[in-house]
Amino acid sequence: MLELKNIGYWYDIQDNSLFEDVNLKFETGQSYAIVGQSGSGKTTLLSLISGLDKPKAGEIILDGQSLSHIGLTKYRQKHVSIVFQSYNLLTYMSPLNNLLTAMAVTKSSHEGDKNYARGMLQKLGLTDEQMTKNVQRLSGGQQQRVAIARTMCCDAKLVVADEPTGNLDEDNTQEVIQLFQKIAHEQDRCVIIVTHEPDVAAVCDHSYRLAHHEFALEK
Amino acid sequence: MNFFKRAWLNLIAKKGRTILLILVTSAILLFVLAGLLIRNAADAATSNAKKSVGATLTLSANRDAAFKSMRKSSRSDSTSKPTKPSLSLTPVKLADVKQIASLSNVKNYNLTASTSVNASSFDAISTSTSSSVSADQGGPGGSDSKMTSSQGDIAVTGVSTTALTTNFTSGGYKITKGRGIKASDANSNNIIVESELAKQESLSVGDTVTVKSVSGSKSYKLKIVGIYKAPSTSGSTQMGPGATDPSNTVYSSYTLANTIKGTKYKNTADSVTFNVSDPAKVNSVKKAGTKLISTSKYSLSANDASYQSVKASMTNIKSFADKIVWLVAIAGTIILALIIILMIRERRYEIGVLLSLGESRAKIIAQFFVEMFLVLIVAMGIAGAGGTFVGNKLGEQLVSQQTSSTATTVQSTSNGPSGQMGGGGQAPSGNAPSGSTGRGGASFMDSSTDKTELDVQVTPTNLAELGGFGLAIIFVSITLASVGILRLSPRKVLID
Repeated sequence: MLELKNIGYWYDIQDNSLFEDVNLKFETGQSYAIVGQSGSGKTTLLSLISGLDKPKAGEIILDGQSLSHIGLTKYRQKHVSIVFQSYNLLTYMSPLNNLLTAMAVTKSSHEGDKNYARGMLQKLGLTDEQMTKNVQRLSGGQQQRVAIARTMCCDAKLVVADEPTGNLDEDNTQEVIQLFQKIAHEQDRCVIIVTHEPDVAAVCDHSYRLAHHEFALEK
Repeated sequence: MNFFKRAWLNLIAKKGRTILLILVTSAILLFVLAGLLIRNAADAATSNAKKSVGATLTLSANRDAAFKSMRKSSRSDSTSKPTKPSLSLTPVKLADVKQIASLSNVKNYNLTASTSVNASSFDAISTSTSSSVSADQGGPGGSDSKMTSSQGDIAVTGVSTTALTTNFTSGGYKITKGRGIKASDANSNNIIVESELAKQESLSVGDTVTVKSVSGSKSYKLKIVGIYKAPSTSGSTQMGPGATDPSNTVYSSYTLANTIKGTKYKNTADSVTFNVSDPAKVNSVKKAGTKLISTSKYSLSANDASYQSVKASMTNIKSFADKIVWLVAIAGTIILALIIILMIRERRYEIGVLLSLGESRAKIIAQFFVEMFLVLIVAMGIAGAGGTFVGNKLGEQLVSQQTSSTATTVQSTSNGPSGQMGGGGQAPSGNAPSGSTGRGGASFMDSSTDKTELDVQVTPTNLAELGGFGLAIIFVSITLASVGILRLSPRKVLID
């Protein structure tokens, strides 16, 4: 589904590159963990995969088409859904409206279907009251569930998550990991999780470790 | 959920910020509207001034030419027995008047012929003053010769109609009983008398009075058809030597005055005032009229001072209002742009989230535009409600400043150094050239020119104009602020 070909990234000069000649492949129906120490460049890789930035070298191919050909805005709109560590919800809206907004922006097949969005939130454990109050009044775990529900409402086949459990307690962490597994296996999507937590990586189907500017497949 | 709904949700969720934006936008629009209202009102006032103030042309004997002729004849007769030089003014012929009246833009005209008689069946009001008045000052209406014993005690001012006579049109003189002199009074002995004289002599409408010519050779029976009231403020300035009070002036048809003066004055007038329908064309009418008359005998003088005075005032006010509009619009754009830039900086995170979802930058900018448009609609309502009040207050202040400066200018220009304005003969009223115009001629000061008011009212057109300005302001503001959005990298906002 998604292929990284000879990807390289650096900030100022190529000699100080975060990584070079990275070649990775990701398939639908599978979950992937990218692990590595802080500052190793895993979040940068995630921003390239999610179309938030462009690689300095190489290209990213989605179903045979280069991202530069698809266009980053269209790629983000149609093909990738992102879950952030800090949830990144629209703070002036309710959870329900967050989902409806995402469905409208991404032109989801369920665009405008309030019941579908409501059902998705219910599935993730939010009550009717919680769905309609301001999203900032929810707990961290609840907000992360809303962010995941937002992903599930959209049709993107690629789901990218950056430290999705970084702000969660142990119970919530387990729930969230299970949710991502369901998304990968039940909805037949490709889930890529950037994490520094071994427990999270252990649950995923595959794991890549980034160390010394190189990626190594762990499992 | 499209960007319209997002805009609405944002405005509702951030009530404090929305109210602040509405207040700032209202304040800006309020001043823009006040400027627009004053500008439009000044336009309307100038337009009305054209209709109401009007402009006139006065046809009368050419006094300059008459003086030259007098000096020439006195020099050529220097060898013969010295005689007292006399000024010979040629009365205006009605044939010439009709030719000028046929020119385009001449609305109507008023003939004036003045003379004096002695009261016979009643007594004229005699007035004595403690200070002596020099006969050299001239009588009312600018009589330039010394008053002699040949002057009667009743002034007869003959006009075509009092409805076109400046004293009456200016509102100074008012018909209190009966009617004024009409065109149909031509060739009749109908007169109107002043109320004080009528009271003194128990005269009323329908009465007949007898007067005698100054020489005493002829007497005339005059029928009173109306009584008028001269302004109570008419003081000694309106009285010429001979101790005649303004109350001793009767108005008649110009034909009666001509009859009293003598047969050679038939079909003539001392002066004629032509009312020009469009004051802006007074000079072109004057040019055309001058070609129709013998300039050695007659002069055609233009008087559009009132119009020019109002026009100058309104032009100044309009110019000031224009400056207000543009100054506020520019300042408003800068203020709003800064506020929106700050607002957008504060909303970088939200923009980043939307960009990460795949929203286009154009739609994000459109969302901000919709938000400001909704704010603009509410602000326009507030500005529309308060615009009339602010516009009126600002307009009153401007008019009062402008009027006082105009009045000062008019006063200083009209009181010329020669001091030849007798009995209220103010320059702009224009009958001064009529040398033989009797006392109390059409010379009452026209104060209406300084009473221009601005009619400041909010109309749908004003609101549409304001909406245009408002849209332009928010468009420019958001465009300036959008530079940041166009350069914003979602990675920097959401990940870094």
